[in-house]
Amino acid sequence: MNLQYSGEEKISANAATVWTFVQDPEKVGRSFPDVVEVTVLDATHVDAVVQVAVGPVRGKFKMKVELTPSPANQRIDMKVSGGGFGSAVDMTAGADVIDAGDGTTLLKWSGQAVARGPVAAVGGRVLDAQAKKLIEQAFANIRNQLST
Amino acid sequence: MSTDSKPAGPLGMPMKRKEDPRFLQGKGHYIDDISLPGMLYQALVRSPYPHAEIKSIDISEAMKIPGVTAVITGKDLEAAGLGWLPTFHGFDKQMVLAIGKVLFQYQEVAAVFAETREAAVDGAEAVQVDYAPLPVVADPFTAKTDKVILRPDREAKTNHIYHWEVGDRDATTRALAASPKRIKQRIWFQRCHPAPLEPCGCVAQFDAMGRLQFYVTSQAPHVYRTALTLVTGIPEDKIHVVSPDIGGGFGNKVPVYPGYVCAVVGALKLGRPVKWIETRTENLTSTGFARDYHMDVEIGASAEGRVTALQVSTAADHGAFDAAADPSKYPAGMFGVVSGSYDFAAAHAEVDAYFTNKAPGGIAYRCSFRVTEASFAIERAMDILADELSMDAVELRRKNFVKKDQFPYASRLGFTYDSGDYHKTLDTALEKIGYQTLLKEQAGKRAKGELMGIGVSTFTEVVGAGPSKHFDILGLKMFDSAEIRIHPTGSGFVRAGTKSQGQGHETTWAQIVAEELGLDPQNIMVEEGDTDTAPYGLGTYASRSTPVAGAAVAMAARRVREKAKKIAAHLLEAGEADVEWKDYKFQVKGVPAKSVTMKDVAFAAYTNMAQNEPGLEATYYYDPPNMTFPYGTYIAVVDIDRDTGEVKVRKFLAVDDCGTIINPLVVEGQIHGGLTEGFAIAFMQEIQYDTDGNNLNTNFTDYLLPTSLETPHWDTAKTTTPSPHHPIGAKGVGESPNVGSPAAFVNAVIDALSPLGIRHIDMPVTRDKVWRAIREAEARKRSS
Repeated sequence: MNLQYSGEEKISANAATVWTFVQDPEKVGRSFPDVVEVTVLDATHVDAVVQVAVGPVRGKFKMKVELTPSPANQRIDMKVSGGGFGSAVDMTAGADVIDAGDGTTLLKWSGQAVARGPVAAVGGRVLDAQAKKLIEQAFANIRNQLST
Repeated sequence: MSTDSKPAGPLGMPMKRKEDPRFLQGKGHYIDDISLPGMLYQALVRSPYPHAEIKSIDISEAMKIPGVTAVITGKDLEAAGLGWLPTFHGFDKQMVLAIGKVLFQYQEVAAVFAETREAAVDGAEAVQVDYAPLPVVADPFTAKTDKVILRPDREAKTNHIYHWEVGDRDATTRALAASPKRIKQRIWFQRCHPAPLEPCGCVAQFDAMGRLQFYVTSQAPHVYRTALTLVTGIPEDKIHVVSPDIGGGFGNKVPVYPGYVCAVVGALKLGRPVKWIETRTENLTSTGFARDYHMDVEIGASAEGRVTALQVSTAADHGAFDAAADPSKYPAGMFGVVSGSYDFAAAHAEVDAYFTNKAPGGIAYRCSFRVTEASFAIERAMDILADELSMDAVELRRKNFVKKDQFPYASRLGFTYDSGDYHKTLDTALEKIGYQTLLKEQAGKRAKGELMGIGVSTFTEVVGAGPSKHFDILGLKMFDSAEIRIHPTGSGFVRAGTKSQGQGHETTWAQIVAEELGLDPQNIMVEEGDTDTAPYGLGTYASRSTPVAGAAVAMAARRVREKAKKIAAHLLEAGEADVEWKDYKFQVKGVPAKSVTMKDVAFAAYTNMAQNEPGLEATYYYDPPNMTFPYGTYIAVVDIDRDTGEVKVRKFLAVDDCGTIINPLVVEGQIHGGLTEGFAIAFMQEIQYDTDGNNLNTNFTDYLLPTSLETPHWDTAKTTTPSPHHPIGAKGVGESPNVGSPAAFVNAVIDALSPLGIRHIDMPVTRDKVWRAIREAEARKRSS
C-alpha cells in the first residue's frame, strides 16, 4: 500500500538552528513518535525502535534511518526502512529548510511510504489516518525539542 | 436374489456417527494434542514482501533469545540438497525456504527452533532479513505480458505455466458463428481459501531406531510418506506417517508444505522431536488457496433456446509456484466438466495458467479439481443466456439437459457420464419448493418494485479420481484400498487408504462391511491414517473416498465372503456350489432353514476351518473403471433490500442425486456443511491482494466464516440413480453442495436485480457490490 504525504511546518526557531537539528541523527531519531530506543551508528545513520499500534498490529518496529543532507540546497533527505511482526515499511522523505525571515523557519516536506504485510492489510483509511497522526506527532516532537 | 425381499440392512441406515461422541465430548486427538518428551517448537520467518531479493539474513539476534536452539535458512537447506520440494502433480517445484528471493508475501524464509512456542516466535521476530524490493505481478493478465519474469529458475523464461485444452475448437467456432443467439461473459471465480478450523501442523521425531515418526494433518498420509522419501532421500520403510484426528481439510491438507520439511530437518539436525503448528494467518496466507479462475464463457443457441456451442477460455492465477495438486495428466483438473448437464453439439475449453506474486495453490477446495469453477461458469452462463432469450431459466435447462436415455453419455469435453435423470431431479425440486407459486409471488413483488430472486443451479459433478489409465499424482496411480479382518467372535475392523477429516468414514465404511457380511456395524472398527497399518491409498479429497475406497471396502468384504463361503460349506456339510449368500446368511440353496451366519463362520475360521486356510481377512486395491457423476438441482430464493443492498436468503432447497446412499444422516450433514461453505463463498469470502501484492484477508476478521446467525435454513431432498459401475452404486456427495450452490445463490441475486438490467456481479456478492450495482443501474435509467 502506497501512502503519499506533504506539508509545511512553521518552526519557532531560526533556519540555522533547524538546519543543525535535522542533520543530527540522534535528534531526528528522538523525534519519531513513540520511540523506545535510538542507536546512532554514525553521522548519517541511526537505528530506532518504535512502538506501533495500527489496528490489530501492535508491537515494536525496528527502523533503519539514513540521512542525506544537501547543505547547498538546505535540504535533508531521509530513507527509513524496517518493520516488525511480519510487516515492513519503506519510507522516503525530504524537507527543505526555508528561512521565513522573521526568526522562524518553514519546513517544507514531502514523503511517501510503502507498507507491506499485516500493517498494509489493516486497510487504507485506518492506515492513512494513523500515518497522518504520526506525522503530526513527529512535527510536534520537533517543535518541542527546538523550543527547549 | 430379489432386492425387494431383502430385509433392511446396514446400507442406507440412518445410523448416528460412531465418531461423534468422541468429538462432541472434546476427546478428539488432534495434532496439537501430541506432545513428546524433549520436544522443540518451530516458528517460521515469513516475508512481508511479495517479491524481493534477499540480500542477507542475520540470525545472530535470534540465537541470543533464551530457548532458541537453531535457525535454518534456504541456503542451509540448499546445501543439504533440500532446497526445493516437488509439487504434487510434478510440473513444478517449490522453495522450502526462500533461496535468493521471495516470490509471495508470507513466504517461508527461515525456520527457528526453540524450547517453547513463545521463544520460537520471539526468535523468528529477531531474525533480520535485508530485502531489496522487486516489481510485483499481482494478477495473471499482468503476468501474461512477461515484463517481469518471476521464475528465472525455470528453463522457460515466461510466467506462462501451461496451456491446456479439450474439445473441438474449430467446430465450436463454426457453431458459435452460425448461432442466431450468443452470449459472452467474463466470470471470475474469486480466490478463496478452505480455512479449516484446525490449521496445518506436524510433529517430527526420529526414534531410537532412527526411524522418522511423522505426525501430520494430512488428507493423504501414504502420499506424504512417498513424497518425504523423494524429498529427503530417507528410505520409505524408515518413515511412519500418522494422521491423527483432523479438524477439517477441504483440500487444504493435501499438499506437503515447507513447514513440514523444515520440522523434519530440525528433528534430524537437533536430535529432538519438533512440533510446528500454523497460526490462522499462516494458514490463510501461505497454504493452498482455491479457485482464482478468470473464465470467458461464450454460448451459442437457437432462437428457441437449444444450445449449440460452448467456448470457455480461462486465465488461471496459480501464484508463485504451480502447486495445484492436480492429477498429472490434468493440469486444469476436471475443468472439462464445464459443459455441465447440457447436451452441447460442439464445445471447447482451454485454460492458460500463470505465475504471480501470490501464495501458491489452486487446490481442490471441497471439489474434484476445478469442478466448482466449471460448474459455476456454466450455471451462471445458462442464466445469462436465458436472460438474452427472455426465457425462463428453468425451461432453458430442461430443454437442453442430457436425457435419461443418453447415458452413458459421452460429453464433447471428454467425459463419459455414468448415469443420471436430470429431468426427474429438476421436477422433484420444482415441486417441492413450489416453483410456480414462487413465480407468481415474484411477479406481484416486481409490480411493486420489490426485488425478489429465484436462482437455480442444475449442476453435474465428476468425482472419484480415478482410473489408473488416466489418473496419477507424482506417478502414483489413483486407486484406493481396504483391508478387512474379521475376529473369531464376529466383530472386526477395516483399514482404508483414505483419511476422514469429518466425512464419517468410521461409520460409513463399517456400514458397507456390515452390509456385505451381515455383521453389526457397531462392531466394525475403522482405522485410517497410519501408514504402518493401513494399505496404501491416495487419500481423501476430490470426493474420491466413497467412489474409490468405498468400492475397495465393498470388494474386500466380498473377498472375505468368498473365503467365508468355503467354511460355510464345511459347516453346512454341503458343496460350495450349493451354498448361497442370501438375506445376510449363507444357506443351502433351496433349503433356507439350513443356514449359518457370518458370525458362525467367523468363529469356525479360527476353530473349525477343516482344510481351509485359517483366519478371515482380505485386502482389495480398487482401480475404478470410470469416474462417478453426482448431480443435483439447487434452488435459492432471495429478497434484496433496494436501499441497503442487503441480500436475505429466504429459502434454499438442495435436491441431490449421489447414487446409492450409505447413510442418509451423513449425507445430510455433508450437504449442510457444503452449502454453508458455498453460501460463504457466494456472499462473503475472498482472498484479496492489492496491486502491491499485499494479502488483505489474513485473519477471520477479514476472511469471514458464517456462523449460525448468518447461515440460512437448508432444505434437502434426493433422487437416487445408482452408478452402474460402482460396486454398491454410490457416487459420492461431500462436494456437491460446495460445487452446486454458489451459482444458485448468485443466480438468485441476479434474477432479483434483472428488472434493473443487471446481468452479472462477480462473487463475493457483498452488500456494497449489490448496493453499487443498484445505484449504477438507477443512474443509467435516469440518464437514458
